[in-house]
Amino acid sequence: MIQPQTHLNVADNSGARELMCIRVIGASNRRYAHIGDVIVAVIKEAVPNTPLERSEVIRAVIVRTRKELKRDNGMIIRYDDNAAVVIDQEGNPKGTRIFGAIARELRQLNFTKIVSLAPEVL
Amino acid sequence: MAVCSTTTLSIGGSVFSGQLRHWEPNESKLFQKPRSRFRCLCLNDLHLLRFRTKTLNFNPRGSLLPSLYAYGKEADDAFLSKVNEDTDEMFDDLMKKYGEVVFRKNDRKSPSAELDDDAESLSFAVEMAKVASDVKAADIRVLFVKPLVYWTRFFIIATAFSRPQIDAIGSRIRDLAEKKYGKVPSGDAKPNSWTLLDFGDVVVHIFLPQQRAFYNLEEFYGNATLIELPSETQPPFHT
Repeated sequence: MIQPQTHLNVADNSGARELMCIRVIGASNRRYAHIGDVIVAVIKEAVPNTPLERSEVIRAVIVRTRKELKRDNGMIIRYDDNAAVVIDQEGNPKGTRIFGAIARELRQLNFTKIVSLAPEVL
Repeated sequence: MAVCSTTTLSIGGSVFSGQLRHWEPNESKLFQKPRSRFRCLCLNDLHLLRFRTKTLNFNPRGSLLPSLYAYGKEADDAFLSKVNEDTDEMFDDLMKKYGEVVFRKNDRKSPSAELDDDAESLSFAVEMAKVASDVKAADIRVLFVKPLVYWTRFFIIATAFSRPQIDAIGSRIRDLAEKKYGKVPSGDAKPNSWTLLDFGDVVVHIFLPQQRAFYNLEEFYGNATLIELPSETQPPFHT
């Protein structure tokens, strides 16, 4: 359940370290974003000397949430952190590698590029 | 590097607890990056018990086993009677006793059916690679990634030198797949600097040269088997 003002970790090597959600992309007045949703976010903290800088506005895909993700078979997945991957307008990830486990729902949502860079898919 | 992730499941009312662990020796490039700590819980029923045991003392075959589950009626009984005891030791004992018993889902295919599927996907992948080379895609690699990732079998990685060429390769592959195999890809509809066509068992990546060097997928999947393409042995141009 990511909403504007939520702080998220960054799960890739794009150079951003922490994001703050400022808008959920989707319907108008959409309240919450879950795994696989695109948000507009601002970079609150970045690694020095990387292309991304603090206070830059970017798009990101949510890859992990503390809120449980339910599957049709009854499985529930809950992560320890809220994390997102920085993408550009075309949907390509800005980083070259993803860290941590991600859910296979991202593939169904057409983020197969992120899935193919991830070390572990649940 | 040893990586351990804990998964606890209970299925169909019966307690079923296991530890999903990956023991990766250094050779795997897939898991080279130190991972930030995360924990993932999967639970199905009211029974939820999480446990951790020491990482390395457990895998009886010392091989790359994706998962091992202790499962069975006796495991349940022992489990329920000793709940108050130290769970780590208890599960160590259970793993010693039942560690070889691997839980399988019923929908698992037989090895021969898997091989058939592999062969089918391979012929599909090789055909797609041929089409790509017909449209002058460069540096085409077909990788057998099934041992590394569960979600697909083959990767085709190709370089195109312009967006119109990416479009041409993509549409040729789409047409052939639909006509001959009846498969419709998901993924990018428009030509992109990294265009991805997802056919399920085969995933096609078409890059511009810059993006190919940037993402460097071949290095990431460096342990995957490279499939030899028949057309690559011939010289590309006949003058």
